[in-house]
Amino acid sequence: MRLRRIGLGLAASSAMFLAGCARNAPQDTWQPKGENAQKINNLDWMVFPLAGIVGVLVFALIAYILFRFRDKGQALPTQSHGNPAVEIALTIVPALILSVVGVFTFKGIFELAKTDDTQMVINVTGQQWWWEYDYPAQVVNGVEITQPIITSGQLVIPTGTNVLLRETSRDVIHSYWIPALNGKKDAVPGRINLLRIQADKPGIFAGQCTEFCGLSHANMRMEAVALGPEDFAAWIANQQRNAEAPAQATLAQEGEAVFLNQCVRCHQVNGLKKADGTAAIAAPDENVYSGAAPNLTHLMSRNTFAGATFDLLTSSCRKNVWTASPEEFGSAYLKGVTTDCLNQTDLRRWLRNAPAMKPMYADPIKLARSDGKYRGMPNLGLSESDIDKLVAYLSTLK
Amino acid sequence: MFTTGSKYCFGIAGLGSLGAVVYMVLVNPSDVGVLALLGIAIAMSLVGGVAQFTGDFDVDSPNDALTANAVAPANSMWPLVLAVGSVFLLVGMTTDPIIFILGIVIIIAAGVEWALQSWAERASSDSAFNRFVRERALTSLELPIFVGGGVAIIAVAFSRIMLAVSPQNGAILFIVFATAVLIVGFLVSLKSNMKKSTIAATCVLGAVVLLVSGGIAGFNGNREQLVSAAAEDHYSHKECEAAESKYFDKHSENAVSMKSGISATIRVKDGKLTAQLIGIDTPVQAVTVRRSNSTTILFRNLDDAQYRLVANLGTKKIADTGVEEEIVDCTQMTGKNQTQALILKISKPSASSGPYTLTVPGLEGQEIAVVVP
Repeated sequence: MRLRRIGLGLAASSAMFLAGCARNAPQDTWQPKGENAQKINNLDWMVFPLAGIVGVLVFALIAYILFRFRDKGQALPTQSHGNPAVEIALTIVPALILSVVGVFTFKGIFELAKTDDTQMVINVTGQQWWWEYDYPAQVVNGVEITQPIITSGQLVIPTGTNVLLRETSRDVIHSYWIPALNGKKDAVPGRINLLRIQADKPGIFAGQCTEFCGLSHANMRMEAVALGPEDFAAWIANQQRNAEAPAQATLAQEGEAVFLNQCVRCHQVNGLKKADGTAAIAAPDENVYSGAAPNLTHLMSRNTFAGATFDLLTSSCRKNVWTASPEEFGSAYLKGVTTDCLNQTDLRRWLRNAPAMKPMYADPIKLARSDGKYRGMPNLGLSESDIDKLVAYLSTLK
Repeated sequence: MFTTGSKYCFGIAGLGSLGAVVYMVLVNPSDVGVLALLGIAIAMSLVGGVAQFTGDFDVDSPNDALTANAVAPANSMWPLVLAVGSVFLLVGMTTDPIIFILGIVIIIAAGVEWALQSWAERASSDSAFNRFVRERALTSLELPIFVGGGVAIIAVAFSRIMLAVSPQNGAILFIVFATAVLIVGFLVSLKSNMKKSTIAATCVLGAVVLLVSGGIAGFNGNREQLVSAAAEDHYSHKECEAAESKYFDKHSENAVSMKSGISATIRVKDGKLTAQLIGIDTPVQAVTVRRSNSTTILFRNLDDAQYRLVANLGTKKIADTGVEEEIVDCTQMTGKNQTQALILKISKPSASSGPYTLTVPGLEGQEIAVVVP
């Protein structure tokens, strides 16, 4: 009986231990891909074993005492009070351990907070439940951004460059975390918090909002894409273009009309014109609680949508991008979403009924708490014909 | 059968389960609140089970009973109230802040009462003395709360009176009131044998007069001068001209500047206007302001002359008249080495109705571009 219990205990412990192993773990904190994340990793490798040993000892001791001295009706043992030797030892030993850990931790904190070697600035804004990135006008490694770029979901940065993220939030507190590039930093309404990231090689790195921010917190994801200098220059050049109007008498042109009728209330497409020739300016401030919705000018240049929750690429095409070598990654990413790689299934489902795919406060009956404005995308009640047209139009937004 | 400690845990688990059922029926069966309540029930069942298994807190066990007081403790309702408070707290976390706050209040009140009751019951074997101990301890807690509440009510009543009468009459009233308090205090100290009932009656009378007057003043509202000033928007209407304004700049020297959460700092030094972004050392000529997002910009004047920072944010069409009106925002007049904050929230991109600029009246020909992507 005793052996059986021990066996069961060992099996349960082994199962829990092995559950931590995974081959596909894009948010693994032990795989740094940049200087800042490497600094955190170095600190982890010093602190984790120390904390692990202390933790295991404490838990083992507690478990032993709980079982060994549990109430079985025995007489109370002799009560004693005070043991200077034990108390001094239990004070000095943790203090020494914490002092050593503290020295290295503070050194790391100050190094990570450095901003005087910034080479590029990107404004990062969180809202329920997606991230917006805007690139102010600046010169980055000789590449000039002449007019601000605005995108969402995927943060594109040049490799080997110290990028300063200036984070804030439009609604509640969020937290920005790309484990491969740096630690977490809260995005707080009304404050600008700074986070420096840098990627050594081209690649794509997954992240996740790490501050509970409402119903779809778990679906507030992001990806950082690092491109080599030439590829980054090509990306910048493309992002500064306005969207081109679709060809005459095509399904995409009909989709543009649906977009103007339905989507432009919240989503901006730079260069899009109304029937009278004036610029179509989105008014998310009138319809969305956070006052913003993703800019879709170059939707098909990114691989994800709906707060990086769903892929715009089919699984095989996505795999090609994620597993590309650093040398080939740039060209694989810059292809964007081609017609044969478009994940039409998820995009259509999203257009059909967005709240069914991603939980959001988008029920018209429950808008009283948010001044009649939506948090997230509502169900627009589009017909299948309109969805066909919209997919055709969105496919042109390269 | 159940130990005292485990009863508390099982109580919360039971109420949590019951709450989950009620929540499912009344609110939403698939809401996160149900999960939260069931989570509480499971967690507290686990803790209760451990407490039961290890005999923790079991004051009724034969061994611990040896050390317990000879006087059996009275039945207490406070564990149940505490459990109810815990459920309120956790339900409030997922539903309504008011329920959450109510939970905190119940937990604090029940916790204090339970702790003091338990402590007092073990003070001695004399139950009368124990009651005295309990009352003495509770009085030291209750008295400051009642006195604090009383002072707050008097302050509110007095403030209503002062807001209702004219400034001149207010000054006279204040002098009369202070003098009356001084005279009464002087008389009380002079006549040490004065009856307590006389002192109490005087205080009650004063309090009643104050409360009734405050109630009447509050019912009648603020004096005409304040009402008209509010109607004319003297306090929030911003006058952004180069000259100092009568109302808007009246207390500019008292303005509290925001030192954190700033996006950019605009400086005037030697007659030159420059901008600096947080995190970037070199000055810039354009500031990016995120669309629909409150953005704080600091204005720091390092020159002798007084200046204000003005944000020119395009135009808007007035719905009734169709007339285009300029959208302008500004800081108060800012003296040498003073700092003011300007909070911008712009919903339209600068490309649509821009260009947006930051200027300083008196420094003509200089501007910082405001880009809203």
